[in-house]
Amino acid sequence: MAMVLGRRWKKWLYLYLPLGAILIGTLFPFYWMGLTAFRPDRDLYVPWNKPNFNPFWTLRPTLEHLAFLFKETLFARWLLNTLFIALLSTGISLFCGLLAGYAIARLRFPLAGPLGTWIFVTYLVPPTLLFIPLGEVVRTFHLGDTPWALILTYPTFLIPFCTWLLMGYFRTIPKELEECAQIDGASRLQAMVHIVFPLAVPGILSAGIFAFTLSWNEFLYALVFISSVSHKTVPVGVVSELVRGDTFFWGSLMAGALMGSVPVAFIYSFFVEHYVSALTGAVKG
Amino acid sequence: MNWSKATRRERKEWTFAFLLLTPALFMLVVFVFYPFLKGLWLSVIDKEIARPGVFIGLKNFIKLWNDEIFQRTAQNTILYTIAATILKLGIGMVVALLLNQIIKFKRIIRASMLLPWIVPTVLSTLAWKWMFDPTFSVINFFLFHLGMINKQVSWLGGPVIALTSVIIVNAWRGMPFFAITLLAGLQTINPALYEAAAIDGASGWQRFWNVTWPLLMPVTMVVVLFSVIMTFADFQLVYILTGGGPANSTHLFATYAYQIGIATGKISEGAAASLAMFPFLFLVVIFQLWYIRRGEEVKEKVKRK
Amino acid sequence: MGKQKRSEMNRRTFLKTAGVAAGATVLTGIPGILAAQKPPAYPKGTKLHMLQWINFIPDGDKVFVAQAAEFGKQMGVEVVVERIGMNDVRLKVTSSVEAKSGPDIALIPNNLAHLYTEALINVSDVAEAIGKQQGGYYEFAKANAFSGGRWIAVPQFVYSWAWNYREDWFKEEGIAKFPETWDEFRAVGKKLKAKGRPIGQCFGHSENDPNNYLYALIWCFGGMEVEKDGKTVIIDKKGTLEAIKFNTACWKEAFDEGGLTWDDASNNRAFLAGSLSITGNSPSIYIAARTKFPEIYKVMNHAPMPKGPAGRFYQLPSLNAGVFKYSKNQKLAKEFIRWYMDKKQYAEWFHVMDTFAIPPTKEWYNDPVWMKDPKCTVFRDNILDARVIGYAGPPGKKATEVLAKYIVVDMFVKAIQGATPEEALKWGATEMRKIYGA
Repeated sequence: MAMVLGRRWKKWLYLYLPLGAILIGTLFPFYWMGLTAFRPDRDLYVPWNKPNFNPFWTLRPTLEHLAFLFKETLFARWLLNTLFIALLSTGISLFCGLLAGYAIARLRFPLAGPLGTWIFVTYLVPPTLLFIPLGEVVRTFHLGDTPWALILTYPTFLIPFCTWLLMGYFRTIPKELEECAQIDGASRLQAMVHIVFPLAVPGILSAGIFAFTLSWNEFLYALVFISSVSHKTVPVGVVSELVRGDTFFWGSLMAGALMGSVPVAFIYSFFVEHYVSALTGAVKG
Repeated sequence: MNWSKATRRERKEWTFAFLLLTPALFMLVVFVFYPFLKGLWLSVIDKEIARPGVFIGLKNFIKLWNDEIFQRTAQNTILYTIAATILKLGIGMVVALLLNQIIKFKRIIRASMLLPWIVPTVLSTLAWKWMFDPTFSVINFFLFHLGMINKQVSWLGGPVIALTSVIIVNAWRGMPFFAITLLAGLQTINPALYEAAAIDGASGWQRFWNVTWPLLMPVTMVVVLFSVIMTFADFQLVYILTGGGPANSTHLFATYAYQIGIATGKISEGAAASLAMFPFLFLVVIFQLWYIRRGEEVKEKVKRK
Repeated sequence: MGKQKRSEMNRRTFLKTAGVAAGATVLTGIPGILAAQKPPAYPKGTKLHMLQWINFIPDGDKVFVAQAAEFGKQMGVEVVVERIGMNDVRLKVTSSVEAKSGPDIALIPNNLAHLYTEALINVSDVAEAIGKQQGGYYEFAKANAFSGGRWIAVPQFVYSWAWNYREDWFKEEGIAKFPETWDEFRAVGKKLKAKGRPIGQCFGHSENDPNNYLYALIWCFGGMEVEKDGKTVIIDKKGTLEAIKFNTACWKEAFDEGGLTWDDASNNRAFLAGSLSITGNSPSIYIAARTKFPEIYKVMNHAPMPKGPAGRFYQLPSLNAGVFKYSKNQKLAKEFIRWYMDKKQYAEWFHVMDTFAIPPTKEWYNDPVWMKDPKCTVFRDNILDARVIGYAGPPGKKATEVLAKYIVVDMFVKAIQGATPEEALKWGATEMRKIYGA
């Protein structure tokens, strides 16, 4: 009896308590976001040292900030824009990364080694350096103010990571598989697509999720290359429409922050298991 | 190897590889390599907005080298990166170890843990800004009622405290990335190894250091590599929280480069400041890639044995 | 067109008369259409793209956008008004200028038109026409938009600014009126901070508030950045040291110490939350209070800058419309500017802006909008005492670099954070000399 109790107590002390504490620390800002989003302005702009003030909940929640967000700004449109851009740029990056990763990991050709490193090095080039010259490129291709300006520039920081991750993944798949397929009469291409790619699905998922997150998150290029309000992405739209000089519409800002994270978090909750197992696979190699 | 000496089979392979590489290379050459060269050119001329510049060699870099604010920026960025990475690695490791033992509600706990990393930085940083505001800070409220402070704390108001606050926000945001990736690594470790160690009488701590840590090293290095790159080049977080202040105590390379290039119109100097982080990053990356490759070679050797 | 009563004129004929009466170059736009009975001068599908900041007064935006649509309809073109945050305007302008494509017109803040001179076309014809129509420009407004003998931008307005204060708390302390000298200011602040009601001012790296206060403070005490020649740095010659000493003392005794981390919006929030007794700001606090915080609205008031040994000065933000050289619609752009700055359109917009905007021309000084609310009359005189950054030199590139690097602000911050005023001043002067090269 004592031994069983002892183990449970240990579990609480060493597992649940620390995890709980960390979870609270991690999630508190979100609780705060949510609270601010539903708190009326009267209760919001109250200094913390005012007597009888309780910041941790509100007695009269309001939907006015959310209403403002969806009615007065084009938030719903921004959500769609951001989703569209994130999905397409992820798709492009995965496509490029998949092919390139396969080539570098499994084919023999001159410069294969250094090429992998060089692709990775492009990840180091900072956007604050690139955005002005990129503006010129965007203009040359007449992409200004269209989602394509972003769909085609985001892969610049997504492709290196996707390539690297998939490279690592491909290395773990035995070469014999393709050779067997080729002996059976399949072409190189068929072997690649029908044998190897399916095995790499976890890696593809994991790279895809990572790329989607980075894409959803991006701010600088979206600010510079997009002009019209209806083409904006969520981060840019929320900040530019709800921060009016020296007046921040905090309630709606936080509502926007919440709504801008919910879709991504929702998708993640389905894929997180795959993500973990995918990384596990990549890491094993 | 050259074309004429290659066998037919090798040539086919090369062509195939080349075709596969084309999409990625096209994207990177057009959208990274070419602008990078332009950026490089910008940094060695004296271009200002709306007027062309002439070649001036390394003058921009020399001016930066002597710029007191730039020196401060370099210091800040290095400190920021080191401190934030250590925090993220430490807490991330703890979280990974804890999550590894959770069975119930696995999915929702892991998804919740990932939230800070998933949410667009701009938005979560704004939430933190609201939490730090000296007049309205909920953190102040909390500490006041715990009796730990008796007047307002200005979380972004002094050089040391501002940098600390910014590091904390970065660690908050980046920790999930470490936690989840390390968790993946943990799940590849054969539990039999732990049992063997336990039988040998190793304590929990010893088990960690002698079994977990070495086996996780490859994953750790990779995660640290990516994190260092992202943290070093960080822009949004500082831009929103402090704009580089107070008195330049939180400026990072990216925010300072932005300030120079955009606010003063000295585009070439801004380009030089952006490039200035490149050598640092390059060294870090080369070192880590070498380390990772060395780890792989060791693994190969062990496998062959 | 003869002496038709204004109420009988429709907009088109009014414009034409105004054009002729002002002696301006007759535009080929609307008047031209009428005169020559020609079809519209602009091909179908022409788009005019204007970059603007997001107005602090949302109604101002609504009116302007409506006016833009009206103009578009009359000219048979599409006018797109893009609005972004003030802080991001510079970013967009820089990348547009470099990529040689982007908006045709941009509302450029403060003196930045000087920075972009080579990218802007000469708009002297439009500016002069408006000046003639509306009684001439204030020197301050012209200084921000005139360079190298030509108008590089057409001023739209200057932000108003005053000390916002809590009349009710002043009454409680027996203070009859707002301090008129800086010493009185400090004494009043001390009294109020002792009761937990400090003065609040922003000292962070932010666009407007810190500069509005600190540059003006230096000038009030007699200091200035450079000589008239625009080259010799004299920030450390006289006056500035006193300003730094004053501010440091005032900080300890009278200011809310959160000010170091504030941005432009923080003092608004704090004042509206009842934490501050005094803060320097545009009427945006007053206007926000009117709808959302009526109890504060009733008890607050505005007062002008106290006088220092050298007088009373303001450093005010402004917005000026520039047309880019890369624009393919330069003529149309100029006509649009001429149109929305014309008396009728401007009056409509100016009234909605409710004393937040000070027109750049002298015509509007006696407009009833200033008298509507006696608490706001003080704003119209701001422009008479306003100075440009980089005083006494021109508000050019070097002054901009000093501003962008926050050298003035950081000088004061260093003194607050523990450096002696002399050390702080020395640092500021050294940094400025690096920039001015003298």
